[in-house]
Amino acid sequence: MREIVTVQVGGFANFVGSHFWNFQDELLGLAADPYADSVFRNQHINMDVFYRTGETQQGSVTYTPRLVSVDLQGTLGSMSSRGTLYNESSPGPSDVITWAGHVSTHASEPHRKNLFLESLYEEEQEKLTVTSRINGGENNSRREINDKDIVESLENGVQFWTDFSKVHYHPQSIYELSGLWLDVQEFDNYGIGKDAFSGGLRGEELNERLRFFVEECDHIQGFQFVVDDSGGFSAVAADFLENIADEYANTPVLLYAVRSPGSHTNPRSQKQSVSRDLHDSVSFSRLSSFCKLIVPVGLPILSGSKAATYLALKDEKPYHCSAVYAATLHSTTLPFRLEQLGPTADSHDISGSMDVNGVVQVLAGQARQNMVAILDVAMPAPPLIGKQVEQTLLGNLQPLTPEIAEDVEDLQAVESITVHGSFGSGGNRASVSEVNNMVGTAYRNATRRPMFCHLSVAQCPLPIPLPFPSIFGNHVGQHGELLDSPIMGSPSRGSLEVHSIPMAARLRSSSAVLPFLENRLVKLRRYGVERGASGAQLLRSWGFGQDDLEDMAEMLSKMVFALDPHSQMSSDSD
Amino acid sequence: MSLRVLNPNAEVLNKSAALHMNINAAKGLQDVLKSNLGPKGTIKMLVGGAGDIKLTKDGNTLLKEMQIQNPTAIMIARTAVAQDDISGDGTTSTVIFIGELMKQSERYIDEGMHPRVLVDGFEIAKRATLQFLEKFKTPIVIGNDPDKEILKMVARTTLRTKLYEALADQLTDIVVNAVLCIRKPEEAIDLFMVEIMHMRHKFDVDTRLVEGLVLDHGSRHPDMKRRAENCHILTCNVSLEYDKSEVNAGFFYSNAEQREAMVAVERRQVDERVQKIIDLKNKVCSGNDNSFVVINQKGIDPPSLDLLARAGIIALRRAKRRNMERLVLACGGEAVNSVDDLTPDCLGWAGLVYEHVLGEEKYTFVENVRNPHSCTILIKGPNDHTIAQIKDAVRDGLRAVKNTVEDESVVLGAGAFEVAARQYLVNEVKKTVQGRTQLGIEAFADALLVVPKTLAENSGLDTQDVIISLTGEHDRGNVVGLSQHTGEPIDPQMEGIFDNYSVKRQIINSGPVIASQLLLVDEVIRAGRNMRKPT
Repeated sequence: MREIVTVQVGGFANFVGSHFWNFQDELLGLAADPYADSVFRNQHINMDVFYRTGETQQGSVTYTPRLVSVDLQGTLGSMSSRGTLYNESSPGPSDVITWAGHVSTHASEPHRKNLFLESLYEEEQEKLTVTSRINGGENNSRREINDKDIVESLENGVQFWTDFSKVHYHPQSIYELSGLWLDVQEFDNYGIGKDAFSGGLRGEELNERLRFFVEECDHIQGFQFVVDDSGGFSAVAADFLENIADEYANTPVLLYAVRSPGSHTNPRSQKQSVSRDLHDSVSFSRLSSFCKLIVPVGLPILSGSKAATYLALKDEKPYHCSAVYAATLHSTTLPFRLEQLGPTADSHDISGSMDVNGVVQVLAGQARQNMVAILDVAMPAPPLIGKQVEQTLLGNLQPLTPEIAEDVEDLQAVESITVHGSFGSGGNRASVSEVNNMVGTAYRNATRRPMFCHLSVAQCPLPIPLPFPSIFGNHVGQHGELLDSPIMGSPSRGSLEVHSIPMAARLRSSSAVLPFLENRLVKLRRYGVERGASGAQLLRSWGFGQDDLEDMAEMLSKMVFALDPHSQMSSDSD
Repeated sequence: MSLRVLNPNAEVLNKSAALHMNINAAKGLQDVLKSNLGPKGTIKMLVGGAGDIKLTKDGNTLLKEMQIQNPTAIMIARTAVAQDDISGDGTTSTVIFIGELMKQSERYIDEGMHPRVLVDGFEIAKRATLQFLEKFKTPIVIGNDPDKEILKMVARTTLRTKLYEALADQLTDIVVNAVLCIRKPEEAIDLFMVEIMHMRHKFDVDTRLVEGLVLDHGSRHPDMKRRAENCHILTCNVSLEYDKSEVNAGFFYSNAEQREAMVAVERRQVDERVQKIIDLKNKVCSGNDNSFVVINQKGIDPPSLDLLARAGIIALRRAKRRNMERLVLACGGEAVNSVDDLTPDCLGWAGLVYEHVLGEEKYTFVENVRNPHSCTILIKGPNDHTIAQIKDAVRDGLRAVKNTVEDESVVLGAGAFEVAARQYLVNEVKKTVQGRTQLGIEAFADALLVVPKTLAENSGLDTQDVIISLTGEHDRGNVVGLSQHTGEPIDPQMEGIFDNYSVKRQIINSGPVIASQLLLVDEVIRAGRNMRKPT
């Protein structure tokens, strides 16, 4: 077994993470549920890759994500940073045993638990008190109404990422950056976050927490790093990554730089737009220098994009958008935890298991050494029927990475694609060999073929947990099948109507990412490196000297050059 | 106004409104922290939005936990936190001193005085006070064998403002001994060499000093011994796990056998490294019943653990980076980065190594070491709040002892310095300047009194009475401080109440600077983004 430790840094990263862990929790629940669909009971997915087994001081066993999550103070809503699993009774004023003098209490306005969290809490209490009472059907119908209310309340009221989280976290997992005295709105560029990691022992504390999870791994396969790189958190993440690269030099880091559509708002002034552009360039080059593979995720407009053809979501809600990214993330991480089989063994349920290092080698280790990957998704994945698979499946895979070129001819492209839970002919789940064949054929018939493609297949679809937002369009059926005619009634369907969906996700290393790189290089040169550049002052205040900037520009131009040797950009780097 | 033309959305506060905004912010922050000061202050219980509770009496911690919004208050808070970073204490004093300087200034400004004049007075008063501090401080001789009593008094003064007396007195010995343990002649004291470890276990009074080291992890193999005596300690930073990714370009193989062969080669290299450690163990442990402990900064995978366990070696993986340094200082030997040239000289020694398990948490104690230069303060407490409290206090105590050793002097506490400095300013310095600048000096002098005043207030005493009796004694030539119990003047020297020289100097230095800046603000412009959330 090869463990993965996950790190989430920043507001939107935690939104994505929250959905991601909800999926895992749902899978765990379904695997243990005797009434669940058999694909869920035999997943052949090894959850220990992401989860750890622990024990509280009272001796009860716990199973929690191997996770370090970083966010600003005050963004946890009604959840306590220590979680509830390892709970100790909170002290009243009389319990202050270290001080003989007066005690004064300063209570801040308590956050109310929303309907969903309340129902979770009640369920738990019930479990504690009533161990063996089976609820009748009448009770179930009452539950149904309740669920509807829950979904509705989440739809309208999600403010923090904890509002829709159903997962228990380890007390070491959640870390709040305190003492910065900054609003979320102010924490919006690289410079402002530069001291947030190193100052006041915060870095020490974070390294310690990460070490706690790494120490117990027998054989760690990699770090999965999700960072909200739209603001000051990219500086926090870069410093954290620098430490990780230093301490765990041989462990690959797979980095997802996620952004909410809201972070792409138009800057109000010239100065702001320079600051924004420089932030993008600087944070990309800093983050990419400490990881093995970086995947930029986050379209400026997700709702209207091709990736959201079957979805009905609202861009202004991080609760909605993060769900799409989390689902994709879940799919791309599947190969890491499919049970390893011998080289010759065959399975009906899974194929194509690969560890983090494998993915890194496939995508970034080839001749070009391009470490920037594009993330594509088909959500839900179309059924694999007939001869048009190349159009339906490959055509449905649409990018979530911004600023990339479409229709690029790239002979050296490399891809890693994961398909799980997809349907074959007749509405049944396609078997692994069927999917393998179909996808193989699709690629053979495709007009633009990658040089190499790794395929991972699993039968288990993506389960939709209750707190998943109502973002499916009315062409999506109960099991994620695509319907010919829309379902009348509500325009968007959620977890009550759709129980699971097939997914296809793809990481690809292709020259289509060139515009993304070139944008960052050009902006960095224009505003930062050139003589008399308008952002030079700003960059100095962020702690970058001329040499640092030239190094960054050099690095970016090397990335561009690797993908496009004839580029104008790379040649004029003197 | 020209700014209006440039940016019609800008919000402008004019002269007196701007000044009062700053003064009010400073006073507001002062009010919050005031009750913290001294051994009779109140402890604060902070209840968060999720109902989680934090307890603190430390100004620094309190400031960090508060979500301060006001920009002026943030400026003051940053200064105060910087104070803590530099000297380790005095956060609360800085905040209330700045607040008091602003408050005193307000009186004069309301009477029509220009802030510039006050600020000039502050500057003169600050320089005079610093000179006075040089005369007033009590030099102590540190040398090779420092006077433990004086160090204890300083530590006790700090600790008693954070913990109840009995516990403070117990910790006093601990922190003083810890600093003396890690002190090396002719070298700056590195407090990181004191490990602060905590266990949620037993009671606060079980906190103790471990001469040696406590690690927060244990061995990861069921067959390794949980307790060993007479141990050779190997401190190393060598990867003992089979690591595919070490090969950068990936595997080059064309069939399954080649792949297996590659894997086997890789594995063998790891095994060879493990074997070298086992060889060393056999060398030093043959013919006696000594044990062998490996503490590695890198990982050790299960096959390697197996080999080590079979050889009777206790192995710990992924030790903290700092513990590599601490282990060498505590046990001797050296930290090795490669197993190629291992000699018995690399090994350290510990009389006892044992493991303690609490739920899922494991602790490894490395004790009975010879001549340690690193140690561990093991904090125990029944819950996290107690532990956090003690931890804050221990940090401050360590800093106080370190400062004393480095300053080679202390300052009489219990408000004695502040009263003496005030009398010096009023009776002597004020006469040396002409005109209205005198008033600036007077404001500064009165602001100094905020420390004894607050101490008196927190003890439930009448501030007027206290100040009059203290200044009276000082005018008669007696240097006295305030007794928190009776309100009577006492001799801090007799009572053993001493503060750090560097902390006092830092407060006198930074307080007036920030207060002056705030006083000289005559316009506040809120341009661009609104400070408040849009929601």
